[in-house]
Amino acid sequence: MTIPFSLYAGRESGLHPVHPLTRLTIAGFVLIAALLIPWTLGTYALFAGLLLPLAAWRRVAGLLLRAVFRFVFPFALSLFLIQGLFWTGGTPVVSLGPLSLKAEGLAFAAAMSGRILLIVSSFLLLAMTTRPDALMLALVQKGLPDQIAYIVLTTMQIVPRFQAKANTILDAQRSRGLETEGSLLRRIRGLLPLAIPLVLGSIVDIEERAIALEARAFSRQGEKTSLVDLPDSTFQRAFRWMLLGLTVALTVARLVSVLR
Amino acid sequence: MISVHNLSYKYPGYSRLVLNDISLEVQRGEFVGIVGPNGAGKSSLCYALAGFIPHFYCGSLKGTVEVAGKIIADTTLGELAGSVGMVVQNPFNQITGARFTVLEEVAFGLENLGIPRDQIVPRVEETLALVGLQGFEERSPFALSGGQQQRLAIASVIAMRPDVLILDEPTSQLDPVGTRDVFAALHSLTQTGMTTVVLVEHKLEWIASFATRVIAMVDAKILADGNPLEVLVDPHIQEVGVGATRYTQAARLAQRRGLIPQDRALPVTLKDTQRFFEEPSHD
Repeated sequence: MTIPFSLYAGRESGLHPVHPLTRLTIAGFVLIAALLIPWTLGTYALFAGLLLPLAAWRRVAGLLLRAVFRFVFPFALSLFLIQGLFWTGGTPVVSLGPLSLKAEGLAFAAAMSGRILLIVSSFLLLAMTTRPDALMLALVQKGLPDQIAYIVLTTMQIVPRFQAKANTILDAQRSRGLETEGSLLRRIRGLLPLAIPLVLGSIVDIEERAIALEARAFSRQGEKTSLVDLPDSTFQRAFRWMLLGLTVALTVARLVSVLR
Repeated sequence: MISVHNLSYKYPGYSRLVLNDISLEVQRGEFVGIVGPNGAGKSSLCYALAGFIPHFYCGSLKGTVEVAGKIIADTTLGELAGSVGMVVQNPFNQITGARFTVLEEVAFGLENLGIPRDQIVPRVEETLALVGLQGFEERSPFALSGGQQQRLAIASVIAMRPDVLILDEPTSQLDPVGTRDVFAALHSLTQTGMTTVVLVEHKLEWIASFATRVIAMVDAKILADGNPLEVLVDPHIQEVGVGATRYTQAARLAQRRGLIPQDRALPVTLKDTQRFFEEPSHD
């Protein structure tokens, strides 16, 4: 199964079902930790010691490393070069003619790269291992309004349809002689015959969609069930509370150290 | 099962009545076909029976509508959904998009009704088989063809097991085989005696073969209501633009040419037609 706009890798083993909220809590904890941990090594240690093993357990380690490399490496490279070269008044480590890399700049770049690495990889890991509908269901069970979950999940599926529809209209108008190439003015003029049917058509669609939703008892009050079972456990609940506590403790400790 | 008294309705912002003093009684287990030219008020009647008029469209409504023991005007759409199922024309817009697979899409309505988890999958499977969509469970609903999406839309509503099923041109995207499957599925539902079907359809041949009753609408009013064998051959119906099945047309032509005696009843189905032409003339 492929889900548009989702990074979900579909490698759910099913042996150790981790509740989506537990995964969300881990991702949240790592995100906060990434911003607050004052030691550069700590961020890399958290990546190598927590996120990578989790990814390996979920059989997405290779996928995660590849994606992380693609997202983080360009950032890190530019950080190291710019901060290293242009740090004012630092100690030069390597010099080449008028250019020199400064130790302080490199240290700052390493710290920032570590934070970015953690933020990006915690989100990627969550997205790769968690079906968006399972996550939404877990949040709805905790009180998130149904409508918000619907908007998130539907948008993921409707946007590609919307693009396809725009292309159909484009083709239809072109075959009727609409010019969409040439000067800027001509292109802008060509936009209106595309936008109007797309917008009007979508408004009509919304009416039918609303009817379809009502016909499926979406607005029914009362207990609803779900096809998907999300097993939870006391252990997982305790673990989540522990992580939340840790996150709060980390925040407080950081605040105190900054204020002092 | 359905009881409509002096129903009149105008859409907001319009002065024209789209339903003009409609009264109607439908018993449990009936298979009612609604026919009529475009703009006759067929879809509006469907919306009124399913509660979308007045709850969704607002506008000014007179008269009462009672479906499955519920007064429509006093019942919210959320409460009605389990008793009255509604399938509209465009199949694509009936896919909610709230779920990622065909199985989950059909299950969505059952989840909203609060059906226990262990009953959902068997019910979904049974319904998918009924409309000929078994084997598509794990596909994305958006990856289906128009006809398959239409079957999915019908399955999604049938799975909720409403007392009354209202369908507005549910076979517009289907080929003859698909249309036959859908009609056969609806027929089997009415045969259980539990489900009442009200269906708007332009394909008169199918109405003739499956419906137990036909209502012809013209200009917001009911023009004729009765047995398909009588209503569909009524010359008045043809005059106002409902048309006739090709069987009736051929038979009428044969009578006009003097090939068949005038007193022989006009056919509406293939079987009738065969009898119509093969029966020896007495003279």
